[in-house]
Amino acid sequence: MLATMLTLALLAADPGLTDAEFARLHAALQPEADAPWRTIPWRVSLLDARQEAARQKKPIFIWAMDGHPLGCT
Amino acid sequence: MSTFANPEIIELLKSRFINVAIDQAYHRRQQDDEGDFYRQLASQSPRNDFNGTTQGLYAGTADGKLLGFTNHRGPDRVRQMLTQALDKFKPADFEPPQAKRFDPRWTYQPPQGGLVVRVTAKVLGGYEPTDDMWRTAFQESLSRDNLWVTAEEHKALVAGQLPESLALRIARFHLVDNTRGEPPMWERTDVKSLQLSLNAGRITGTFHLETANGKRGFQGEVLGVVETENGQVKRFDLVARGEYWGEGQFTGGAPKGKFPFAAACTLADGKDEADKVRPQASRGWVQGYLRSER
Repeated sequence: MLATMLTLALLAADPGLTDAEFARLHAALQPEADAPWRTIPWRVSLLDARQEAARQKKPIFIWAMDGHPLGCT
Repeated sequence: MSTFANPEIIELLKSRFINVAIDQAYHRRQQDDEGDFYRQLASQSPRNDFNGTTQGLYAGTADGKLLGFTNHRGPDRVRQMLTQALDKFKPADFEPPQAKRFDPRWTYQPPQGGLVVRVTAKVLGGYEPTDDMWRTAFQESLSRDNLWVTAEEHKALVAGQLPESLALRIARFHLVDNTRGEPPMWERTDVKSLQLSLNAGRITGTFHLETANGKRGFQGEVLGVVETENGQVKRFDLVARGEYWGEGQFTGGAPKGKFPFAAACTLADGKDEADKVRPQASRGWVQGYLRSER
């Protein structure tokens, strides 16, 4: 409750979306380039993965979700 | 995301597997070679009813044999599934057939001459503290989707105009809280007001989105920068920030009451595999997504 009241109080005192706040938020909303899961070489085409798996003689790992997993950052 | 934060799992996947990430809502439905191969593998798992979700983690071979499946995201279960799959795997010479059939309902591409824009979003505050690992992951998550801009809209941006169709697509399909799952989009009638304009390379304006029953809404302001060069948009940075309230069927656990929320747009450079992902709101009906003013 206290956190919500504080948040609302801060918004009430907010000067608006200034250039500085725009720059800060835009930077803050970028995904971490070195997040561990992003170091895995994901593909988005299963048939491309199949071709590559046959070529490299490796099994395929499929991460199948409701909604695209690469959107779950 | 904890599954893929485990160093042992990451190393296994990077060194021993070919990895693919898919929205199974496409693959279980699409009537083409990609869909056939997915269903061939998934039908060997407990997820063999393609009228419902088939989400999960699968391991299989290029010639269509399932090696393992789990729908648990706990690192121990995933590691066990991967190691058991590797134990079963027997490398063999196999040349997969080239794809010949593509289902147009599910295999559409971004508009030619248009743009792909990355859209990220985050809840900025308002959650109750929690010790739960999964709840924490959702509370801290940064969502990702792609905004598609048509060729006509691209031309308009270069000419210094922000088309209504683009403003509406951004508002209806991308100013959504998709940080905890698949979100409900805004209906055309949910757009109570939308005043966005592009002047001298700056997008400014306000928006008010709210469902008819008032249980879900997002109201705030927008600031953005558009830069062009040689007839092409070279920068499309935008931030929408304001107060959000409510949740959807698959996005439960939102903060109570109104909470601060922001979304950001950044022109994609095509270097990220995720740039190829189709917009969430286009699933199964891309024309409905592109004709957002209807």
